[in-house]
Amino acid sequence: MGKVIVVTSGKGGVGKTTSTANLGTALALLGKSVVLVDADVGLRNLDIVMGLESRVVYTSMDVIEKQCELNKALVRDRRVDGLMLLAASQKNNKDDMQPEQMKAICDKLRTTYDFTLVDSPAGIERGFRNASAGADEAIVVTTPDVSAIRDADRIIGLLQNVEIEPINLVINRFSPQLVGNGSMMDQADVLDILNIDLIGVVPEDSGVITSTNRGIPLVYEDGSPGAQAYMRIARRLTGQRIPIPDLEQKGLFSSIVNWFTKNR
Amino acid sequence: MNRSLTGATVQIDFQSPTLNDEEIDYLRSKLREDYDLIVRGVELGEDSASPPIAAAPTTHTISQTTDAVATRDGEPSRIVPCTIRSGQTEEFPQGSLIIYGDVNSGGEVRAGGDIVVLGTLRGNAYAGTNGRLSAVIIAMDFAPLQLQIGNCVNRSSTNQKPPGYPEIARIGPEDVIIIEKFVKF
Ligand SMILES: Nc1ncnc2c1ncn2[C@@H]1O[C@H](COP(=O)(O)OP(=O)(O)O)[C@@H](O)[C@H]1O
Ligand SMILES: [Mg+2]
Repeated sequence: MGKVIVVTSGKGGVGKTTSTANLGTALALLGKSVVLVDADVGLRNLDIVMGLESRVVYTSMDVIEKQCELNKALVRDRRVDGLMLLAASQKNNKDDMQPEQMKAICDKLRTTYDFTLVDSPAGIERGFRNASAGADEAIVVTTPDVSAIRDADRIIGLLQNVEIEPINLVINRFSPQLVGNGSMMDQADVLDILNIDLIGVVPEDSGVITSTNRGIPLVYEDGSPGAQAYMRIARRLTGQRIPIPDLEQKGLFSSIVNWFTKNR
Repeated sequence: MNRSLTGATVQIDFQSPTLNDEEIDYLRSKLREDYDLIVRGVELGEDSASPPIAAAPTTHTISQTTDAVATRDGEPSRIVPCTIRSGQTEEFPQGSLIIYGDVNSGGEVRAGGDIVVLGTLRGNAYAGTNGRLSAVIIAMDFAPLQLQIGNCVNRSSTNQKPPGYPEIARIGPEDVIIIEKFVKF
């Protein structure tokens, strides 16, 4: 039985789609069977980032409306074994889909694929509820700025309400230089607020933009820092223990202990 | 800490996040040694439906909140064992609120009595909602967006980092909220 992981954030433009595409490809490169589900109905773009745009015939909406079988709607990525995409309908909108329908799709995919990654739309409304309906676990993506973090915090609360566990954090577009000169929050600041487990930090990498435009996920170019970060996160998702440098993971318990020791 | 709690009997009801036996024992002895608080009972979440994986350490889950039995002026206190996140509100008009966690930006806590945050206060805190002007707000790290005590409001002027020691907000002379280093109650 595989895992269904929703990739979400609250705020738009922080790197959900980029992360879904790269983590999915990375997991497939590690030998896992993977299906990527675009849950951004009406504003789909995972197919573009994956370079599979021209090969999409059916969408999840066709599956829901019983126009085609689920298997037939999956687009196979020919560059790597075991990687599939289920596209979102572009002509429908988010209210045309019910959370239970998305859950039914995820439940089926879970029986066949090691990983089902669901790319969530921005927001906390129906689109988010659809995307998270079938999820076992979550990856919350944030950039190190206060507004993205506040939205991530909101999403974490909502995920905890529906008991999705674990919730892992990806900090994206991290810039050591900006942290160095004090104009960006560092990892510890972000974790101090969000208080969930960090699964990886992806640096700001201009390669992301070119790879998006070319429809070739960054992880195929293993030299780049972004690609390496995504490969490490994928390994962690498969259960490998790879330390995250410069990280002090803080849970509630350790915060209480820290406070006690600090205030002795 | 809060004198009102000294010697009181408190019940904490745990659900999430999970704590193991050792952690619970640690909290129990800390609360007793440092604050003279006696942990009367630790209620474990019902985990029986999904038995823990063989190798995993025993963990317990924390249920939402529990109202402690005694506090200042005979009012109850509510202990919240987790962080209040953006978009979440914790309200307790009957008495004081004690938060074992943070109150994040976009989150809100409201209490008829005092508010004690055993973490960082980054969101909004409203004490003395029933008009009690003697109510106070205490946090280990104080970086609130907005404070209100009774009908006095205080908005944060800058994005200042907390000073690294606990602070207390109360209504001072001329009905303005003053924030100062928290030494004792
Ligand atoms: N690590 C990164 N470095 C540089 N640009 C990035 C990075 N991650 C994402 N981007 C860019 O940010 C934009 C938004 O990313 P996207 O994945 O579409 O966000 P979302 O799906 O959360 O809306 C895209 O133009 C993408 O190329
Ligand atoms: Mg997107």
